[in-house]
Amino acid sequence: MARETKLRVEGLKTRFFTEEGQVNAVEGVSFEVAEGEVFGIVGESGSGKSVTALSVMDLVDAPGRVVDGEVWFRSPALADRVGEEIPEAVDGELVDLRRLDARERRALRGAEFSTIFQDPMSSFNPSITVGEQIAEAVEVQRRARANPRSVRSRTQGYGLSSFVVDSLLPTREYVHRPSRDRAIELLELVGIPDPAERAGEYPHQFSGGMLQRAMIAQALAGEPSVLVADEPTTALDVTIQAQVLDLLAELQAETGMTTVLITHNLGVIARMCDRVGVMYAGEIVERGTLEDVFDEPVHPYTQGLIGSIPDLEGSHQRLEPIPGNVPSLLDAEMDDRCYFADRCPKAMHECLEKPPDFAVDDLHAAKCYLARHDYDEADALPEGYFDA
Amino acid sequence: MIPDRVRASLKRELRTSLLAKVGIVLVVSIFVLATFAPFFAPHDPTTQRVGVGGTEAQSNLPPLGFSQEVQRVSPQGTETVYVNATAEFPLGTNTQGQDILSRLIYGARVSLLVGLLGAGLAVIVGVPWGLVAGYFGGRLDDGLMRGADVMLAFPSLVLAIALVGVFRDSGFHTTRIPDPFVLAAQSETIPNVLIPRSDHVASMPESFVFPVTVTLVVALVNWVWFARVARGEAISVRTEEYVKAARSIGASDVTILRQHVLPNSVTPIIVLATIQVAAIILLESALSFLGFSGTDLTWGADIADGRGDQRSQWWIATMPGLAIVLAVVGVNLVGDWLRDALDPSIEGEGGV
Amino acid sequence: MGFGKFLARRILQGVFVVWGVVTVVFFLRFLTPGDPTATLLPPDAGEAVRQRLREQLGLDQPVHIQYIDYLTDIAMLDFGLSMREGRPVGELILVRLPATLELAIAATIVAVVIAIPLGVISARRRHEPADHGATLFSLVGISTPNFWLGIVLIMFIAVRVGFLPVGGRSVNLTQVVTMLADGQPQYLGRWLGQLILPSIALGTYFTALITRLTRSGMLEELGKAYVKACRAKGLPEALVLYKHVLRNTLIPIVTVLGLQLGTLIGGAVITEEVFAWPGLGSFLIRRITLRDWTAIQGTIIVIGIGFVIINILVDSTYAYLDPRVVDE
Repeated sequence: MARETKLRVEGLKTRFFTEEGQVNAVEGVSFEVAEGEVFGIVGESGSGKSVTALSVMDLVDAPGRVVDGEVWFRSPALADRVGEEIPEAVDGELVDLRRLDARERRALRGAEFSTIFQDPMSSFNPSITVGEQIAEAVEVQRRARANPRSVRSRTQGYGLSSFVVDSLLPTREYVHRPSRDRAIELLELVGIPDPAERAGEYPHQFSGGMLQRAMIAQALAGEPSVLVADEPTTALDVTIQAQVLDLLAELQAETGMTTVLITHNLGVIARMCDRVGVMYAGEIVERGTLEDVFDEPVHPYTQGLIGSIPDLEGSHQRLEPIPGNVPSLLDAEMDDRCYFADRCPKAMHECLEKPPDFAVDDLHAAKCYLARHDYDEADALPEGYFDA
Repeated sequence: MIPDRVRASLKRELRTSLLAKVGIVLVVSIFVLATFAPFFAPHDPTTQRVGVGGTEAQSNLPPLGFSQEVQRVSPQGTETVYVNATAEFPLGTNTQGQDILSRLIYGARVSLLVGLLGAGLAVIVGVPWGLVAGYFGGRLDDGLMRGADVMLAFPSLVLAIALVGVFRDSGFHTTRIPDPFVLAAQSETIPNVLIPRSDHVASMPESFVFPVTVTLVVALVNWVWFARVARGEAISVRTEEYVKAARSIGASDVTILRQHVLPNSVTPIIVLATIQVAAIILLESALSFLGFSGTDLTWGADIADGRGDQRSQWWIATMPGLAIVLAVVGVNLVGDWLRDALDPSIEGEGGV
Repeated sequence: MGFGKFLARRILQGVFVVWGVVTVVFFLRFLTPGDPTATLLPPDAGEAVRQRLREQLGLDQPVHIQYIDYLTDIAMLDFGLSMREGRPVGELILVRLPATLELAIAATIVAVVIAIPLGVISARRRHEPADHGATLFSLVGISTPNFWLGIVLIMFIAVRVGFLPVGGRSVNLTQVVTMLADGQPQYLGRWLGQLILPSIALGTYFTALITRLTRSGMLEELGKAYVKACRAKGLPEALVLYKHVLRNTLIPIVTVLGLQLGTLIGGAVITEEVFAWPGLGSFLIRRITLRDWTAIQGTIIVIGIGFVIINILVDSTYAYLDPRVVDE
């Protein structure tokens, strides 16, 4: 049964305009995630996978900017509301978030989209209690439900004056009692013992694993329909990683949240995802179901990546690191060719021209000429071609 | 002597920052003006022109562009006079008819000299103190730094005022430094053709008053900052592998301190010293404003001098203040430039 | 460790520093050239008279006895008699203390109220005209001598325009309150009027410094991961900016301000001199000209104690803002 598309990203391009030059962090990324599905994005560090997540969430800061692309999101209610004002942003029940104004997009954060970040220690404010920070996430949605208009206003219902009054009057606070209680419930939900007590503690009093659980609780606060998890376990000890992954899988199954999981760890992908996209140098070079990508990879990069994980079952597969380095992504240094060609064992003359997305079958696609025809040794690029 | 990496980051920062360029231009021009004051000053800064002994009264002349009408009270009654600014005194003259521009150029000498010497002395005392405390640690560290902390309990200006109050009765409160250019211009042995505008230079003051106590006092209230920074650097270097290695092959503590610990502290100390020169210039001007420096040819003293006549002769107090602001802005900009270019925490661990 | 224990440790350190201050001040007198009796007695006073005075003042005792006596006196808050007026130094200081406090507090308020919003705007509108303006202001502000600024304000605003008094403190706070109770609010205006120029002169350096610190601190904090996390959970931008970022920015600012309070007190000394403000600073300067050593010593000790107390307050604020401090 084909589930309906929840999120469709098309031709997303994100650039960083730094002093060293323009960096093409995300270079025309397209993918589709169905309702309730877990979509994995895997790649080496520096391949642009985190920036892709931030671009979808509209959280890219200067000097970075999303310069092109569409982010289609299924939400009948939003489509209804926006339809009249910006008809070109609506396609049936899908809405192109990139065409909405900043206020509309902001209002979606927490409510429809939630994020889990890589390093829980730095993703919590060190000087505010964990409970308070989770309660804030609950409170902002509580206020949004009570007064939907205010959330899309310029100040989102909270301005400097509110802050000054809140700070001066001890009886006034942004976060209200019910939200605090809900935060404690959420902490309990993610398996934190003594949640009422831990809610009053500061991030530095938590262990990494516990804090990542707290961040998951925070991400659930607004009952979002899409969860973006950016390397949710990378900063944790191996034993804790498994526990946190189990928790995520369990919550995902329970709530049916559409999930985009970003990681450099193929083990995590294999364990969690339905479909996966492989990123290299700002592009998704291959995407398909878990089986497509793991069992029948087409792109030599994917093959190398799969080859580089030691087999846990202890079979005879050898550990084969891919020689060479991830390219710098500096615009000036990027030739218009297959970005992997200089590291590719099967590079051909064809590869000097940028390969389009080739469909392998229904859900499986790869940016590689090998999807069309087999490797032809006669056409191979001479060794050391890129060294000059 | 300067490592290439440091030179490269200094250059890069200078290229991108307009403010750094402005700072360097300000500091270099003030430094050149101060050093070669007799060449640049249009008049002898001490010559008075109050209209006695045949000289025409040229006191209270306004700066160029500010010619004005003035009410003058004389025994015959009040009269309104139109006072013209003249190009001879571009920034005007003070109540004694002294040329303000020349006084500013000479005042820069005292400010810069006190700033550089004061910061230099503070470095000489503070850096070894901090290095020893940080390198040896333990009781010695506690003892040395607690003592230093007491100095911080005094607001620096209050401490400086008190110390100057104590020492100004001593014999070394001020000293006269002869001006080498003027002496050279006056001397018979050096041919005058070697010295540009030699007649003009020869007519300048032969020496100027240098405030010794003030220099000592500003160093005394500033050295603790250097001790603290040096100590921090020594502590961080002490545990480095190469220092341990040096010790294991039998290098003495003095050698390690001089060859390994000191070079590592140079960058933060240079940055701090620059900032402190700015602070010292401000402190010196405050002390001479209060009349504690023992010389009246400084910016601070000139401000005090112009303070009495506030209604019409506003330039007398305003001009030296602008000179202070320009000098301190310049030094602060150079400090910002050095900090941005040299600070390793901003540069990033491995460099980009 | 609890907050109480933290405070107790800080106070103990403070007592130690005050002891150091008193010791330095005591030995300062020995550096003074000349005989202390010379300033007290007419030049033609005989040696016998001088000797009797020395005995009276305890100056004939060995140094360590004099030192212990001095410490005991100070511990009892006895600062001795003024060498010029014969009145207790403590009394003279106490009369002038409120004026100084008033000026310092007013300047701090001016600085904080202007600087923090300015720094926030500057950081948010980085590289825009508002930011350039604020940067220029803070650069010039930290480079301007406050006594000169005071004189310029007097010359151009008080004298030329005739707006606001040129100096002095004609009304004190007690009078304002009594007169307000009497239904005479115009005293409040006079009181505020006399404070404006001095507090601008004294506060400008701090306004500039705090603007600078707020800007760079905000920029640093805004780059941290938790800011992104706050935005990702949909918090209003003002809440992220003030409750999270600004609060964390204030932590290092409070520390720097603690270290810079010496400059504020020193600045108050000279600002008082410029505006004929009858506080501790103008008192100190006048006593130095008069060579009234007991008064000088007393004033410096009181300023030192005040400095230590303010620093303890600053550290407590710091511990309140950053919970990690108490735990270390």
